Amino acid sequence: MKHTAGAWRFRGVVLTMLALATPASAQVDLTGEWSVVRAEDNVGNTELGDWVGIPMTEASRLRSAAWDASIQTLPEWQCRPHGSAYISRGPSALKIWKEVDAVSRETTAWHLEWLRSVDRPVYMDGRRHPSPNAPYTWAGFSTGEWVGDMLRIRVTHLKEEYLKRDGVWHSDKIELTQYLIRRGDYLTFLVIAYDPVYLSEPLVRSTEYRLNLNQQIPPYPCTVVTEVDRPKGVVPHYLPGTNNDITWFSRRYGIPMEVVTAGAANMYPEIRSRIPRSLGGFGPEPAPPPAPPRGQRPAARAPMIQPPPQGEIEVLPVRGSIYVLFGAGANIVASVGNDGVLLVDSGQAAMTDKVLAALGEVQREWVRRNAPKGLGWGAETRSSVAHRHVTAPPKPIRYIVNTSAASDHVGGNEKLRNAGRTFTGGNVTGNIADAGEGAAILAHEQVLKRLATPPAGQTPAPFDAQPTDTYYTAYMKLSHFFNGEGVQLVHVPKAHSDGDSIVYFRGNDVIALGELMATERYPMFDVEKGGSINGIIDGLNGVLDLAIPEFRLEGGTMMVPGHGRIVDSGDVAYYRDMLTIIRDRVQDLIAKELTLDEVKAARPAADYDPEYGDAPEWTSDMFIEAVYKSLGGGKPLPRRRPR
Amino acid sequence: MVALATATVCWMLSASGAAQGGPGQTPTPRAMAPIDLTGYWVSLITDDWRWRMVTPPKGDALYLPVNDEGRRVAEQWDPAKDEAAGEACRAYGAGGIMHLPGRLHITWESDTTLKVETDTGQQTRLFRFGGSQPPSGEATWQGFSVATWELSAGGRRGRGAAPASRPGTSLRVDTSHMRPGYYRRNGVPYGSKATMTEWFATVTEPDGNTYLLVTKMLEDLQYMNAPYVRTVQFKKQNDGTGWNPMPCSTR
Repeated sequence: MKHTAGAWRFRGVVLTMLALATPASAQVDLTGEWSVVRAEDNVGNTELGDWVGIPMTEASRLRSAAWDASIQTLPEWQCRPHGSAYISRGPSALKIWKEVDAVSRETTAWHLEWLRSVDRPVYMDGRRHPSPNAPYTWAGFSTGEWVGDMLRIRVTHLKEEYLKRDGVWHSDKIELTQYLIRRGDYLTFLVIAYDPVYLSEPLVRSTEYRLNLNQQIPPYPCTVVTEVDRPKGVVPHYLPGTNNDITWFSRRYGIPMEVVTAGAANMYPEIRSRIPRSLGGFGPEPAPPPAPPRGQRPAARAPMIQPPPQGEIEVLPVRGSIYVLFGAGANIVASVGNDGVLLVDSGQAAMTDKVLAALGEVQREWVRRNAPKGLGWGAETRSSVAHRHVTAPPKPIRYIVNTSAASDHVGGNEKLRNAGRTFTGGNVTGNIADAGEGAAILAHEQVLKRLATPPAGQTPAPFDAQPTDTYYTAYMKLSHFFNGEGVQLVHVPKAHSDGDSIVYFRGNDVIALGELMATERYPMFDVEKGGSINGIIDGLNGVLDLAIPEFRLEGGTMMVPGHGRIVDSGDVAYYRDMLTIIRDRVQDLIAKELTLDEVKAARPAADYDPEYGDAPEWTSDMFIEAVYKSLGGGKPLPRRRPR
Repeated sequence: MVALATATVCWMLSASGAAQGGPGQTPTPRAMAPIDLTGYWVSLITDDWRWRMVTPPKGDALYLPVNDEGRRVAEQWDPAKDEAAGEACRAYGAGGIMHLPGRLHITWESDTTLKVETDTGQQTRLFRFGGSQPPSGEATWQGFSVATWELSAGGRRGRGAAPASRPGTSLRVDTSHMRPGYYRRNGVPYGSKATMTEWFATVTEPDGNTYLLVTKMLEDLQYMNAPYVRTVQFKKQNDGTGWNPMPCSTR
């Protein structure tokens, strides 16, 4: 075929017209039911010890070696869905639909839902990813944009979950980039996973789907039951060196363990030099691979979500009238409403002005959201007009609850108390005339003792910073509803110290956890002040007994740890699991009569250290030492083994 | 509209005249390449490691759309026999080569031909733009490949992108005239009438990594009961580090 210059000019004109006619953002239609194309990429359950093809860090391998599949029989595990980092790897059918703005007809969100997953909206409206302090979910938070005909999705705020179902984990620091590429009736789903905790390099995986006009993804009902009778608090796991199953994959296929455990190296062709020739490799070569450096971390990468500015207060709503103030030291939980303000903890003293300013903003926002209702009252009885002429001033702080006596929990007591005003009555300390002159401070009585009578040489807290109402029993209830709900302080014995409380907002179903949990570090506890690892674990198990998830083991009862982001029972269960596993390891080492230094050298928290062990105020070593002491480490055992 | 635009652009770019180029004329496929596929790329073997990084046992056709005849032939796989017959490259044909662990070196052989070299098996694939007719001679391991740019219907240009750059675009490659080979290294076959459509696309991440995605659809009525559709990934390298030419091997 010959082509004249005129013909080419014509084509150039057509090309120009096409370029002008196309929209700024491509809009390939992805809607429909998609069946997975079964292939080597989506084999579902993997075999035990199948660690190949994943850039696992040393911490990841240690954690996988501890994984026992029977953990999935725990009530907190049974109804979990597959998370966004895994689901496309399993052979699950996919449904995609879109939300279209009724006026502009723009696609504002795509929705992706697989069998055994939850609906995942992918926002296309330009919104930003939430604060890192916001709740994390199985599906995560997703935003999308078109790159040519590819839909690119960024995913953050994912709970920790598995990358493979044989115990290969990702942390809640994971972020994903996903690409959806449609070619006729086929859809390619590419996932690039970044996890600074458990992946030393990005993990790149893909799956193919085919349009299926006859598919309807069925529901996936799930009921939590008691699958295994076991003592309360038991978390199934393998102690280091006891899991023989991790060699199963190696033994079955004849692949050397040094290849299986090579981490990122086994994604690349060079690994063949360590694979026997009988399996298609070029090895084995005599030199062993270099061991990954201890504490190996992946290369730095700018995260998709940014933390709020240092030194500023960030306020996030939890549910109803409950908010959290981040950035004042320990998290401050605030109940805001018609009755005034109840605070759980008061942060650091230096931050109280900013806390008060933030509370004022929250209250004004609350007033705006709860403006008087519209017309509707009886004409001959009352009118709502008067309410509309009044902008109510912020209500005072009525109560401050201290979950412990730690300085970043009580530092703002004095100033915040004096900025408030309590209700008269109750268990008033001191002169009855003082009762209305400041907010009441509630706490377990041990908090009062520590603040009022500190050890010799230390200054007592100012009188106005000390609790006004204390309890010494299992719990304390406010004697009336506050902001429309019951509020209960529950004592957690021997946890962070001997005077800890959690605070349960029973109407909003929110629990302030105090020092029971910190999402960015191990829980801090002071053995000298009556704290213990078992108390922390028991406290978390108690919280899990109280909490009821909304759906698929997420949401429902929301909780606010003393430090870190908002969590739910799924997050608390992971934290409980981790602490139980570390406790069991240290207990085992103590039983073997190891000294504290030997226990530290054994690194019983090595698989969790990349995520929790770096906090300067509470390092992994400090935590392990506290665990060791609280379990009686270093004390003579009843019967010593012969050396 | 999308299909119309794509089809039209493909048609324009596939015409033989596009190869002429020159001042005042329509740019060549090389000049108007909307994405840059050139350079060194290393395969990333992840979920499918057990079937790609090692040679699976004979008869392991798990997850492959083999029909009864394909399974029967796969059961007869005899690497020694292949080697003796000078057929050591059966797993390195176009239908299987992109799945083998190794590196690619992609260059423009001419303004109208993109060349893909592999270090594993030392193979060369040529993707020809324009309306070249397939050769009438014997089929080859890499067959005869026709390439077209599948321009997206829209999409914002990436910030700082070159004038011709259109992220999200794919290179489509249609391959036929392949010598019968294996699409799994352990002797799972495709026949002489097999055809293959591939799409080559790239994605660039904020950490600076660029990935090459190769989606293939291998169709063969002789040995398959459905198309074999897979995507494999490569990571772009700065240079030829690790390039390790190795001859075909039957093991």
